[in-house]
Amino acid sequence: MIVMGIDTSGYVNAVGIGDGSRVLADVSFPARTDSLEQIVDNIDTVLKSANLSLKELEGIGVGLGPGSWTGIKVGVTVGKMLAFSANKPVAGIPTLEALAYAVRDKAPLICSIIYAGIRDTVYASFYRSGVKEGDYFAGDVKDLARLIKEPVTLVGSEINRYYELLVKENASLENTITTIESLPSGAAVACLAAARLEQGQRDEPLSLTPLYLKESTAKVFVNKYKGEIK
Amino acid sequence: MLILGIETSCDETSAALVEDGKTILSSAIATQLDLLKKYGGVVPEIAARRHTELIGYVIKEALDTAGKTLDDVEAVAVTSRQGLIGCLMVGVAAAKSISYVKQIPLIGLHHIEGHIFANILSNPDLPIPHIALTVSGGHNMLVHVKKNCRYEILGSTLDDAAGEAFDKIAKFLGLDFPGGPVIDRLSKQGNRKAFSFPRPMIKSKELDFSFSGLKTAVINMFKDKIAHGETLPLADIAASFQEAVVDVLVAKTIRAVEEHDLKVVSVTGGVSANSRLREVFAEIGKKRGIKVFFPKLSLCTDNAAMIAAAGYARMLMGERSDLRLNVFPNAPLGG
Repeated sequence: MIVMGIDTSGYVNAVGIGDGSRVLADVSFPARTDSLEQIVDNIDTVLKSANLSLKELEGIGVGLGPGSWTGIKVGVTVGKMLAFSANKPVAGIPTLEALAYAVRDKAPLICSIIYAGIRDTVYASFYRSGVKEGDYFAGDVKDLARLIKEPVTLVGSEINRYYELLVKENASLENTITTIESLPSGAAVACLAAARLEQGQRDEPLSLTPLYLKESTAKVFVNKYKGEIK
Repeated sequence: MLILGIETSCDETSAALVEDGKTILSSAIATQLDLLKKYGGVVPEIAARRHTELIGYVIKEALDTAGKTLDDVEAVAVTSRQGLIGCLMVGVAAAKSISYVKQIPLIGLHHIEGHIFANILSNPDLPIPHIALTVSGGHNMLVHVKKNCRYEILGSTLDDAAGEAFDKIAKFLGLDFPGGPVIDRLSKQGNRKAFSFPRPMIKSKELDFSFSGLKTAVINMFKDKIAHGETLPLADIAASFQEAVVDVLVAKTIRAVEEHDLKVVSVTGGVSANSRLREVFAEIGKKRGIKVFFPKLSLCTDNAAMIAAAGYARMLMGERSDLRLNVFPNAPLGG
């Protein structure tokens, strides 16, 4: 099943094509501020370079984040409207899962980390042989140290900075942690989506929403004083 | 030509199908009124998240209501200029995707041009050239519509837009959000001459507006009374405040029309739904031989039908956007 994966949550427009086990294309376009401007061109470029047409795609995978709030809105909206317009099945894939998937053969336990935008806060999640373990983490990276109890490989962007902060928090982690520097991959999103779609696990395209893991600051503030919004 | 319009520049997620820039087949609008009431205004990030959730459903609703599919759509028009950046991006991302998949033309438009077309769409006999007063919670401008899609900005607000002043005064008086309709309703029971509020810049030759001073004058007159828990004559305050705003809007617009030797005014934007504004414009128009046009009530506030209509006019002139279309939150009205 040939699936295109899109992920714009991490300051790159990641576009890839995979068929579950085989990667046909995997490109990351630098897009710190012009994710929206580039994304459709990027998709077109990757399709053409893989010598494929939109028609030949059998599904679409969409990286849901977490990550750049603005970035995810672009990728998720483009992903859902491509799927709706082209009438293709779609699967939403958490970007943390896609990061772990891309390095799944490197270690039994992987912790993917994505910068949350303020000081040293991060989003993180643990994956053992591809299966998510525990809840998503959103908070200061040093609090992640308490959750590391066995050898683990960290994966993500600027990963050595997080390694150093974790070791600073708990020196004994120095020999427990290894790191792999990596950006979100469109092919990883595509392969995970292909696997999911092959099992019949489609998402309703129009219902796709980003995985934020953190409320907007304004909402947090107002909810604190006015009570939960329905 | 069947055009799909998309508009997400502020807090309304909307999509519409319009045939040949004239006939509205459908206009789907999902308001964020629940969020506005909760937060007392538009919070950009919250509004943008809501757009992301709703955009697909709103487009589908517009298609279903019109009994059409995307295969029937011949072009996509979207608001790409002026508005909240994160909100604009959602509409443009959706529009580009559809344009790419269906291989149909795309055009990005300025939000204010949409409002100007809301009135052209409502009144096919609205002549051009004319003077357009665009007035809402986010904008307040006088525009000389010289030719089809050709504009000269004559004046705009130096601080608050009139609609924003309505919202802030409503909030101060403990009334509901949005303030415009609430103050309009309440004013009908009040005395317009109960309080004499300033008419900022009404005598100035400039065609710019300023409503921040009026707002402060109202607040200063009553804040002590509110602090002491006194009951305020709400209807009288609302009516007197509304009268001051209406007086300024009408006087400036008439000045612009006469300076340009024109006989036609188009009032558009959310505040154009205000019943007193419509009444005063009608009176003075009759007296001075000026024809004043208002949009249908459903096209006063933000909607995508007006964007589709503006898109059609621009496409007739041969304009197109490419798939690299981006958003420009502060772009001036051009063309």
